[in-house]
Amino acid sequence: MMHIANELPENSILTADICIVGAGAAGIVIALQLIDAGLEVILLESGQIGPSDQAQALYAGEVTDEHLHSPPHRYRQRRFGGTTTIWGGRCMPFDAIDFAARDYVADSGWPFTLQELLPFYPQANQLCEAGQFAYTVESAFDHPLRPMIDHFECRNFTTNTLERFSCPTDFGARYGKKLRSARNVRVLLDATVTALHLNESGQRVVAASVQSLGGRRFSVQAGQFILATGGLEVARLLLASSDVQRSGLGNAHDVVGRYYMCHIAGTIGAIRIERPLHAVWHGYDISDEGVYCRRRLALRPEVQRAQGIGNFIARLHHPRITDPAHRNAVLSLLFLSRPLIPYEYAKRLHGDERSSLRAWAKHIGNVVTGPFDAMAFAWHMLKDRRLAERKFPSIIIKSKANLYSIDYHAEQQPNPNSRVTLTQHRDPMGVPRINVDWRYTRGDVDTVTRSLALLREEFKQGGAGTLHYDPATVEFEMTRYGAYGGHHIGTARMGTDPRSSVTDADCRVHGIDNLYVAGSATFPTSSQANPTLTIVALALRLAARLKQASARGAGFGTVPT
Amino acid sequence: MSALRVLVLGAQQFVGRRLCATLRATDWASCLGDEPAFDERNATALSDALGACDAIVNAVQGSPAQISSAAQSLYELAGPLAARPRIVHLSSMTVYGSAVGDVDENSALRADLGDYSTAQLAAERRAAAYPNCVVLRPGCEYGPECPDWSVRIARLLIARRLGDLGAAGDGYCNLIYLDDLLGSILSALRRPEIAGQAFNLAMPQPPTWNEYFALFAKALGAVPLRRIEQRRLQLETKVLAPPLRIAEIVARGLRLPGRTPAVLSPSLRRTCEHEIRLDSSKARRLLGMQSMTLETGLARAAQSFTAGG
Repeated sequence: MMHIANELPENSILTADICIVGAGAAGIVIALQLIDAGLEVILLESGQIGPSDQAQALYAGEVTDEHLHSPPHRYRQRRFGGTTTIWGGRCMPFDAIDFAARDYVADSGWPFTLQELLPFYPQANQLCEAGQFAYTVESAFDHPLRPMIDHFECRNFTTNTLERFSCPTDFGARYGKKLRSARNVRVLLDATVTALHLNESGQRVVAASVQSLGGRRFSVQAGQFILATGGLEVARLLLASSDVQRSGLGNAHDVVGRYYMCHIAGTIGAIRIERPLHAVWHGYDISDEGVYCRRRLALRPEVQRAQGIGNFIARLHHPRITDPAHRNAVLSLLFLSRPLIPYEYAKRLHGDERSSLRAWAKHIGNVVTGPFDAMAFAWHMLKDRRLAERKFPSIIIKSKANLYSIDYHAEQQPNPNSRVTLTQHRDPMGVPRINVDWRYTRGDVDTVTRSLALLREEFKQGGAGTLHYDPATVEFEMTRYGAYGGHHIGTARMGTDPRSSVTDADCRVHGIDNLYVAGSATFPTSSQANPTLTIVALALRLAARLKQASARGAGFGTVPT
Repeated sequence: MSALRVLVLGAQQFVGRRLCATLRATDWASCLGDEPAFDERNATALSDALGACDAIVNAVQGSPAQISSAAQSLYELAGPLAARPRIVHLSSMTVYGSAVGDVDENSALRADLGDYSTAQLAAERRAAAYPNCVVLRPGCEYGPECPDWSVRIARLLIARRLGDLGAAGDGYCNLIYLDDLLGSILSALRRPEIAGQAFNLAMPQPPTWNEYFALFAKALGAVPLRRIEQRRLQLETKVLAPPLRIAEIVARGLRLPGRTPAVLSPSLRRTCEHEIRLDSSKARRLLGMQSMTLETGLARAAQSFTAGG
């Protein structure tokens, strides 16, 4: 069932066994798992089916340093399906090392190991429409693939791990019909939770206050509440719900909103691969299920430990688009198309830098001198991306000179001073807006600096080419576009100690019996991996636990009175 | 002991033909009804055949009119027979209509999926009035040479006109391997104690259609699987299907050589979306129904298709 909240009677009280707040990847997956589970479920979504400027504006907030972090209303979507309506689709599981407590990464360590999530990853892969859970060349393909670089042996990096790509699947469009037809799930659109209310002892959430954009107010009472609103809004709602616990829910030790992480990502350097053109393959391979897969250079865990640095992967990449010196018609066409490319993608393609008239002229010249390349690329993007349901994931430019740059994606280390806080300003529903003070550390710079140095050494030793970059510019380049957009991690981190975490290993908020957090807010560390697959795996795990608890009975689904 | 003489109606069609071969391979049954001269639509011929057999299998497939007509003739003529021979009536899971979720033999018979399901239900009701009848409701029979759910699907997969359908392929694919279907029919002929009962026939824990297409495409070597866009599905089912169906009928009528392109029909599309799961535990329990593993079944179907060109 699906309803619009504004059509409910004023001051209605809705009841359910489970109330899920937020219909993004995590919220939708949990609701799907609870279909026909013998529980009444309410799924509250602040937005509508499609985009709404008014709903999106509820995300607006402040950032401490605009150079380092995008405005809070960017890179996330307040609508049914959440940010899966715009995500890029890159999937890969976290590595075993990501779960470990590492003495060289402060505040690292999950309350469980990779083994705990392995049973859930295959289904997560299916829900993301990323094919089978096979993330090495050997397990994903039953035939040999052409090597990334022929005769290139790496000591410090593996070259056989894959990233797989979702369609990218819009979870709202893909699974909305199932939720609408479920008899035990009520989806309410335009239903913004403005606060969660505790009982007097502060140990249970008794109700959620909900409001529509049209001003209709109602409340939801449920046996269990799950916050699945994304890494920034989870912190906001926990902090804003302060009627009983003045510092906010689960925030007795001032941890909510701290340890805020994204990823450290960037493009750097220039490398000419000393091999024939056909001996280099940096594009996609397609698995039997039709899923786009791409190999990366992944820093081995033993090297991470030996170097005392975080997780890191790299890919061969095209030269910087903004610099017309690449003389590539396709890249210049992309530069000239910048007004047509959504902000979330344009930022890393072009940055915010202004280009001179001369640069524009050179880009036009590049296109004019390579019209057939530009047309072929335009047709490829129309056919394989714009019109396709399974979209070609990114721009792959085969260099005719074997010239590439290095694109990397690195772990950001937990930092209590990187945080999300509430401001004095409130949105039209009276909820305080957030301020994002994203900060990176010396450890993050070290991860990228040392990894790049190792990579340069690998290329040199292997005779594959010389990676040229200025080590002095690494920090500048890794923050050129600020924090990697859309990966909002760690603001309600899991852990065993309430003094340094917000939720326990079951994603339940410390000290509150019936409040759970689903999503990347609970990740204690960020890995090199994009978060969505692990968000979905954790959501499946949480749903399984809720169903197990329900099967055990003991008043699990009882609405508090 | 003399062999059980089994009259197979629909013996010129795929399942009936295979059933005759299976019956003949046993040491306890013989098959009637597949003689070229026998026309089951002729009431006199049918009446004579009924008088000369010990059991009947109604395996008539085809259009709603063919199903209705065959059932009417059979049960009108069989009703007065004093011997009350066992009739095994092959129905279809479409009698459950638009029901979703797990469906067993006690579930409501909605038959609300158009003329085909209505005709199947009407035929079942005639069967139910006959005292020594067993009704079998198979899902989608697959295996070597199975025309609808193996050959047609293989042709569409190889042509990349079928593949990963996204949400449109989330329905359950209630497959039954042909040998398992035939084994169940044989079992139903020999168990007097199950008279008057109905049985769902499908593999346990069926895959979704998307999973079926992915596995079958892999077995056929028709990979990588193609994602079929919604607008492409619309084009196939609404624009291409009608003329292709007409071409198929004309080609068959004129006995033209070669094959027309396979049809991706609106009903196939509906089936792929339909989240109904047949519970066939009763058939496993009382008929001793076997279930071929999907991997082996698909491998055999693919091998047969590839060998047949």
